[in-house]
Amino acid sequence: MPDEIKTLSSQLAQDPDSLLFLRLGELLRQKGQLDAAHRVALTGLERHPHLPDAHDLYARILADKRDYERAFDEWDMALRIAPDHVGALKGLAFLYFKVGDVQQAAAHLEAAQRVAPDDPGVAQALAMARGGGPGGGSAEAGAGGSAAAEPEPIAPAAQPLEEARVFAGLEGAQEGLLLLDASGRVLGGALKDPSGRDVTDAVAAYLAGVSQEAARTVKLLGLGRWTGLAAEGSLGHVHLAPPTGEALLLVVRDRAVPMGRLAIIAQRAALAARRWLEGGAHA
Amino acid sequence: MTTRAVETWTLEPLVKFVKEAGARLVLVMTSAGQVLAQHGFSRAVDVMSAAALGAAIMASTDEMARQLRQPPFAALNHQGERHGIFLAGLATGRGRLVALVVYDLDVSSLGLVQLFFEQLAAELQAASPKDSVPKQVLAADFERQLSDSLNTLFGR
Amino acid sequence: MTAPAAAYDKALDLITRVRGVRGAMLVSAEDGIVVAEQLMEGIKGPAVSALAASLATRLRRAMEAAGVGASLFWHLQAEHGALLVVPTPGGTLVVAVAEPDVNVGLVRLELLRAAEVVG
Repeated sequence: MPDEIKTLSSQLAQDPDSLLFLRLGELLRQKGQLDAAHRVALTGLERHPHLPDAHDLYARILADKRDYERAFDEWDMALRIAPDHVGALKGLAFLYFKVGDVQQAAAHLEAAQRVAPDDPGVAQALAMARGGGPGGGSAEAGAGGSAAAEPEPIAPAAQPLEEARVFAGLEGAQEGLLLLDASGRVLGGALKDPSGRDVTDAVAAYLAGVSQEAARTVKLLGLGRWTGLAAEGSLGHVHLAPPTGEALLLVVRDRAVPMGRLAIIAQRAALAARRWLEGGAHA
Repeated sequence: MTTRAVETWTLEPLVKFVKEAGARLVLVMTSAGQVLAQHGFSRAVDVMSAAALGAAIMASTDEMARQLRQPPFAALNHQGERHGIFLAGLATGRGRLVALVVYDLDVSSLGLVQLFFEQLAAELQAASPKDSVPKQVLAADFERQLSDSLNTLFGR
Repeated sequence: MTAPAAAYDKALDLITRVRGVRGAMLVSAEDGIVVAEQLMEGIKGPAVSALAASLATRLRRAMEAAGVGASLFWHLQAEHGALLVVPTPGGTLVVAVAEPDVNVGLVRLELLRAAEVVG
């Protein structure tokens, strides 16, 4: 493999516009040379911004680096360009599976299976998604088959994250994301108001009350478990979600971010939070 | 803040009500102003005056309803700048009782108090001794009974 | 100027016509009391109004603290249903109780229209 990397690097240097970067980036990724893979993929993407495979490669590298939010965007972009892109469908299924949204994961895998009915990776991932939620399987099956990330157990305890990294890599981790425990104590993230003032503690103080009231409301109205609270403000939007029964996650963005996108950001942050709470918090 | 009861069957429903409705002060008393349970009061004198005033208001409105040939008013609410006062009657096996609730508008609302008052009334009705007849309080015993009740209500 | 009761009914009617909406209410934000309602059987109006108003108060405080300004619309999502609310400048909450898979965009639009009528 090192020889192949050398050869491909040299060929790519001679012909920077070729599509050899796809093979080279993937080889580097498989060897765990993520920074080098990242550079190759990004350079290729700059030259081929409308190539779905380039977005797919870049997404896989980002996923390996646990930058799931940007990985989501890249796979999403690949699908916009090529709605039947199997790699992107599997990649998104992988991310949904990690968030715990098994239904969405299965839907993406079913779409991938319609396009590639003989792909054993898709069938295996689909069986897993239908068989149970996250925590019971490997990310590999959903993450993109041969080109996917290294096998990565979803069970969070296997790869504990440091406290400071609870939202590492997520957009706005230090100014628009907040994770609290049931009594309103800050577990991770930070919040700043539009003027840049740190409002973490003030908001945390109010959020426990909001969460309790949301839980009581749905309970007394017989609506089951509450899953989220999205609110539009005159200056910004907020999305509140309980990543586990004991914690509360708040995502705040300005009004330029549509509510639907905010929900996706919250979903990804909830994934990071859940992983950390269920495993990494004990590290 | 403590919740205390002279008649123990009132305690659990009252504790629950206080928590759910976010009430600041509560008295459960007979129509005559005899207190069965209280929450949030720190001085005996406040309990005595609140009970007397609450019972008097209920008596006045009952009389107004009677003169209007209407059934007794179910509840009264006075809303101030920071607090609300809710006064309502409820039927139990121990006879008709009156609840006086003071709530902070920052923490609670009339809607919440009304909502959980319905639950309180149902639970007190269910918990009350079915065949007990309210004891006649004789003038000679009044002072001693009042003193005993206040001692219980303040944990002495 | 306060809208007549018939205008309230019409506004609520437009909300409840959205597929998946099980009821609509106007609620006094300050005291959590029902002002007007059109609810399907089984929905507890006083509970919805009291709890929606209480949640709205707590949410408003948190949003103010976060610097995102006054709440214009909020949506409480739950496994078996949802509560969608638009507060009006006059202190009324326009509330919809809906199925979990309701068209949120459409309900939001009707709630905002109703809020204009209510003022």
